[in-house]
Amino acid sequence: MPMSEERPPILGSWKRLYAVVLGELVLCILCFRVFTWVFS
Amino acid sequence: MSRLDWFVLGGALLFVVLWGLYKGRGATTGEGYIGGGRDHRWWLIGLSIIATQTSAITFLSTPGQAYVDGMRFVQFYFGLPLAAIVLSITAIPLYHRLKVSTAYEILEARFDLKTRLLAAILFLIQRSLAVGITIFAPALVLSVLLGWSIHANILLVGTLVMIYTVVGGTKAVAWAHSSQMLIIAFGMILAGVMTAHRLPAHVSFGDALHVAGGLGRLNIIDTHFDPNNRYNIWSGFIGGFFLMLSYFGTDQSQVQRYLAGSSITQSRLGLLLNAMIKVPMQFLILLLGALVFVFYQFHTPPLFFNPGPVKQVMAGPDAAAYRAIEGDFVKAREAQYQRAEAYVTARHGGDAGAIAATKLQLQQAHADSETVRKKGVALIEKANPGTNPSDTNYIFLAYVLSVLPAGLVGLVIAAVFSGSMSSMSGEISALGATTVVDLWRRLIGGSQGVREVWVGRIATFAWGCFAMAFAEYAARLGSLIEAVNILGSLFYGTILGIFITAFYVKRVRGGAAFYAALVAEAGVLVCFKVTRISFLWYNVIGCLAVVGLAYGFSLFQAPGAPSQGAGDGFKVALPGSLEP
Repeated sequence: MPMSEERPPILGSWKRLYAVVLGELVLCILCFRVFTWVFS
Repeated sequence: MSRLDWFVLGGALLFVVLWGLYKGRGATTGEGYIGGGRDHRWWLIGLSIIATQTSAITFLSTPGQAYVDGMRFVQFYFGLPLAAIVLSITAIPLYHRLKVSTAYEILEARFDLKTRLLAAILFLIQRSLAVGITIFAPALVLSVLLGWSIHANILLVGTLVMIYTVVGGTKAVAWAHSSQMLIIAFGMILAGVMTAHRLPAHVSFGDALHVAGGLGRLNIIDTHFDPNNRYNIWSGFIGGFFLMLSYFGTDQSQVQRYLAGSSITQSRLGLLLNAMIKVPMQFLILLLGALVFVFYQFHTPPLFFNPGPVKQVMAGPDAAAYRAIEGDFVKAREAQYQRAEAYVTARHGGDAGAIAATKLQLQQAHADSETVRKKGVALIEKANPGTNPSDTNYIFLAYVLSVLPAGLVGLVIAAVFSGSMSSMSGEISALGATTVVDLWRRLIGGSQGVREVWVGRIATFAWGCFAMAFAEYAARLGSLIEAVNILGSLFYGTILGIFITAFYVKRVRGGAAFYAALVAEAGVLVCFKVTRISFLWYNVIGCLAVVGLAYGFSLFQAPGAPSQGAGDGFKVALPGSLEP
């Protein structure tokens, strides 16, 4: 198996790991939006 | 500072140096010294990447930014996770397969020697100037607020960093980074907890956030598109994406961190760890600044947090006028304090009408005190012509020194030193590596044995000395410092454009890429001089200009002429979907 095809130690595939990273960014932005809306 | 503060500060710095020396011992080859033995685990890579990116000014300036302008600065980092994913898919496998020690090596494999040298030299110029500012800026703040000699400060930070960086190379830098991140995290978390604790007893955390929000300090997301506005969601996503792509993909100070990984997987995980931590981390540092802002709604702050320019006013003909303004400011802040109390009381009462009315009164009182403050700042500007009248970088440390308890003051200052040392060590290590690999090894043909370790040490030492000398010189640069601060964006776009052309534009060969980079760089510098475009956009402009011009120039190249230096290694190493 080529080095770049190694599976990550969690979540089973790199695509899923990248989705988690993007998901966290989206979640952060949504939280920031709510934060701004609630407290401003 | 108390004895306890000195003890905490001295102990923390000693620990960092000894830990770096101990973990970095044993490099016997150039590859071991520059590549760190290529055995680093993902968490060490991730911490090292964050530490290199995190300078002391991050802790001094970011809370002050929230105090003055609110929390919208966090949008600057929105492009980072996207860039990390792109690099994880493209650059990291490529760098590992080609077993390069610096990012610029692959440009010779794809284009030619002159393009590799151009990128390496652009990096050496911008990074060597930036590292000087990295240690100068916190030294200036500490010298003003604590009365320490700025020269002694620069000498202390530079010497401590060089002890473990010169001796141990990349491995010592990475392990010292891990201890510095520990000090930084511990210091900032405790400072945040203590700041919340120091609010008046009847002001809850929720009340504090409502006060900050009511006065425009929690305005995190700005969706309005304006290319002249430095921080909105668009500049963060688009400009930030290009900046981060360039910084993490082509800046040797970052590439060197993940090239030390034991495998592609470890390097990828390290970069992604940084991508997941950075946005929440910046949010928390900004939130700390917003809490300091709320603290000063219930306590009177100084009119201007930087005492240096104030002394100039007090020594001049406007001293009496300034004192009068200070008196007006105290009265205005007293009125603002009463309004803040009324707003919190109304919130506890739950009457929506009273809450809205008291919030409006608080906003008006804040506007009134800001009007008075601006009069004072105008006098400061008059007494200090040609200087930047901003006190943003001084707010947080002035607060720490006057409010936080003994021991914690020492820890926060240790965090500031750690930030300064972490970025300096990563940067001079990368400057040394580029000098050895792209200049000495390539042009003189040196071996990779123990001799190269010593060449690496001499190069790292020389760059450390240059950084300290430039930091000393920076004190005389005045407003040019701001230009040096945005230096990265003046060069990153061009460097990124060279790399993107190398990766994706098949028909472009060495000459076209080289001359496109020269023209694009000239264009970016012209933009900087004659337009008001926010600096984040220079990354986009420089990158697109290189790609477009290189493609245009390639149309005039003789068809089928081989590119000088374009070896098969590069083509073999590229992932299938990216093969040019």
